[in-house]
Amino acid sequence: MFQLSFSTFRERWELFVGAILSVGVGVALVQASMLVLVATGTPQIPPGMSRQTEDKIREGFVAAATVMGMTAFLAMFLAVFIVSSTFGFTVAQRRRDLALLRLTGGSRTQLRVLLLSESLLLGLVGSVLGVPFGLIAKYAQTWLLVEIGLLPDGFTAPWRLWAVIVSGVVGVGVAVAGVFTASLRAARILPLEALRETGKAAAVMTVSRWFFGVSAGACTIAMVLWAQGANLIGAMMAALGVSMSGAVAMSLLSPLVVPLTAWLVPGSTLARANLRDGVRRSAATASPLIVLVALLLGLAGTFGSLSAAGGEEAKRSVNAHLVVTSSGEEAERLAGIEGVAVASRQNTVDITITSARKSFYAGIVAVDAADYARTHTLAPVWGDLSALTGATVFTGPALHADRIAPGQVLSAEAGGAPLQLTVVGGLPETLEMGDSFLVPRQALPRQVWAGAPTETVVQVADGQSPAAVAGRIEELGFSVRTVAEWASARAENAQDGNVKILTVLMGLAGLYALMAVVNSVVIAGTERRREFAVFRATGLTRPQVVRTAVVEAIAVAVIGVLLGCLVAGAGLAGIGGAVRKAIGTTVVYVPWTLLTIVAVGSVVIVAVTSALTAAVATKK
Amino acid sequence: MAALDDVSLSCPAGTWTAIMGPSGSGKSTLLHCAAGLDQVTSGRVLLAGRDITRAPDSTLTELRRRTIGFVFQSFNLISSLTAEQNVAFPSKLAGVRVSKKDVRQTLAGVGLADRATHKPRELSGGQQQRVAIARAMISRPAVLFADEPTGALDSHSAKVVLELLRTMVRTVGQSIVMVTHDPAVAASADTVVFLADGRLVDRVDSPTVHDVAERLAKLES
Repeated sequence: MFQLSFSTFRERWELFVGAILSVGVGVALVQASMLVLVATGTPQIPPGMSRQTEDKIREGFVAAATVMGMTAFLAMFLAVFIVSSTFGFTVAQRRRDLALLRLTGGSRTQLRVLLLSESLLLGLVGSVLGVPFGLIAKYAQTWLLVEIGLLPDGFTAPWRLWAVIVSGVVGVGVAVAGVFTASLRAARILPLEALRETGKAAAVMTVSRWFFGVSAGACTIAMVLWAQGANLIGAMMAALGVSMSGAVAMSLLSPLVVPLTAWLVPGSTLARANLRDGVRRSAATASPLIVLVALLLGLAGTFGSLSAAGGEEAKRSVNAHLVVTSSGEEAERLAGIEGVAVASRQNTVDITITSARKSFYAGIVAVDAADYARTHTLAPVWGDLSALTGATVFTGPALHADRIAPGQVLSAEAGGAPLQLTVVGGLPETLEMGDSFLVPRQALPRQVWAGAPTETVVQVADGQSPAAVAGRIEELGFSVRTVAEWASARAENAQDGNVKILTVLMGLAGLYALMAVVNSVVIAGTERRREFAVFRATGLTRPQVVRTAVVEAIAVAVIGVLLGCLVAGAGLAGIGGAVRKAIGTTVVYVPWTLLTIVAVGSVVIVAVTSALTAAVATKK
Repeated sequence: MAALDDVSLSCPAGTWTAIMGPSGSGKSTLLHCAAGLDQVTSGRVLLAGRDITRAPDSTLTELRRRTIGFVFQSFNLISSLTAEQNVAFPSKLAGVRVSKKDVRQTLAGVGLADRATHKPRELSGGQQQRVAIARAMISRPAVLFADEPTGALDSHSAKVVLELLRTMVRTVGQSIVMVTHDPAVAASADTVVFLADGRLVDRVDSPTVHDVAERLAKLES
């Protein structure tokens, strides 16, 4: 059997090259992500950094680790998906060969063994390729993570043998898992099919395709509904789940929709007929596109919606008109300006607060409790802001999950002086990370807050126009924004970070899915050599044949993108529901720019690839 | 309408039966049913003494390995394997070891001693068909099913192939059931039966080309 697998491999390499590369790239991504992930476990912090910077670098390491974990997971998912879709396609293409094996005495088990040993070979070759690819991927990922600022310059992830072994095992596992259903399908091929010259093609919508397609679809809908009542972390996980199961459902069920695209094609009778006829081929091209679009837009939309919702929440939590940025010293003057009713100064101070487990340096804000309470609507989960006087402290939204007990005394260090702060209250969790501690300004030495970066939330007195007051403040040399501007800037800031993370996460995965698209277009094109020859014989010119192939490919790409959008839309519906539950209003962010780039990009790539393969296939 | 209706045919061991008839008369269906590739809705099918009418796939697989062989118009070789690998392959599937010598000898028997390591696409149509025959010969099947075995061959190659088939019947005592539409080919058989609209309508023993052509012309008119 292995001999036949091997010679089939050599003979029909163009059918397998895509699957091999998929496994290779999958192995490479898993391996590289693991190496980087492990290296982030021991943060390399350059000497001579301030505590805040050190903290920031540490946070970056944690974020990088998360991104790498997700990349490895996504790479595995995509590899199984792509291998099974390309392999399913190759089984369909090799139907006659496989039937011939049955005719010459091959049993069903032998056919399964044949395909599984092919997959083993595929996995091994792919894994071997994955090792050098992995080195390249490791440099690419490290470079990207440094470039977007999650990791410091000079970060390196050392090469480790075990990561290579683990990713190799993953590669073989992925190949075998991906080929498994195809092998079951192949075992059902009847020997008689070897003899039918024209015979009916195998039904594309098999029972198992229906079963798995409908189950994945039902799963997707269930997750969308569940997300409506979930918290935001749950909704985010659901959005990821929706992107994956929705993509699987859509690509399994796509043969039902693809023939309908025939109506999209103006004029060309031949292209229309081919679209209705080559359902299997079209589905194989559409499915990686569906996955690409669903994942890319689904995740971008999810992250975008969460930051937009965070901005919205920030806006609602402030009961004021203007936000002024300055130093702590300068902010002192704001309360005296005509038309200012309340000026709540929030100094981000450089002090250390130590709880039982760890020290905090970032997100500690000095406030005047009374002003703060008048300008902020976020109600504490326990305690009252009026108690925030003297040597006390409030836990902020960022530390909600840390469960710092009421009445606990935290030691602090401010400007060289030790302090003991009693916890008198805590604010609830917000969509944005938020502050970690609120400290009464009076408890701190003046030099600690005077130079600190400060945001002052200004409430304008009744009867005064906010614009006029803003003008007056600006005249004194301050930088002023309306609350709405301030909130959307915060959302954009957060979104910026998300885009960076998405770039790493999806950039590699996206390239990967695109590779699968190109691969299926190429297989489809080369396998149609004979059909194209018939077109030529019927009197079509070569450009006409190429044009027909391109029109078909574009129609398939469009439907793939549309189905992917449908999945992404379902993911957003889930997030929208969860956001409404969290902040009382539905905020959904549609990544239009990304959508346009992905849609145009994939259609162009599919069109160009199909034009090239058709041109090659019709060459004498 | 039934593809085959009230057909009763027996092909004794060591005989060569040709099935003829106009297009759509059920020739190929009869062959497929007899070989266990297709199932009859009523009636019985016996192959080499076994009732295969409702036999499970495993029994049929076993039969395909040891008892029957196939030769078809489209040569049906596995394109990725060489001629000798193609010949040895069914035995491998059956778990029987065949020596390289046996394989070479069989190939030499069909006149392809020097083509053993060629792939199907490097062989002419006639050569490919002889590889297919060698494949069918090596396991010495009791029955060989042939569907238009010379359909894609030039007249010289066709003659070579028919002689090979005749040798198999004469020397090893195999039965051959062959579908063809060519009277000259059918005339090589011991018996020719004629099908029309799924029914057996005529039969000639020790036919001549003239006999066969005449009856076929009558059927098609």
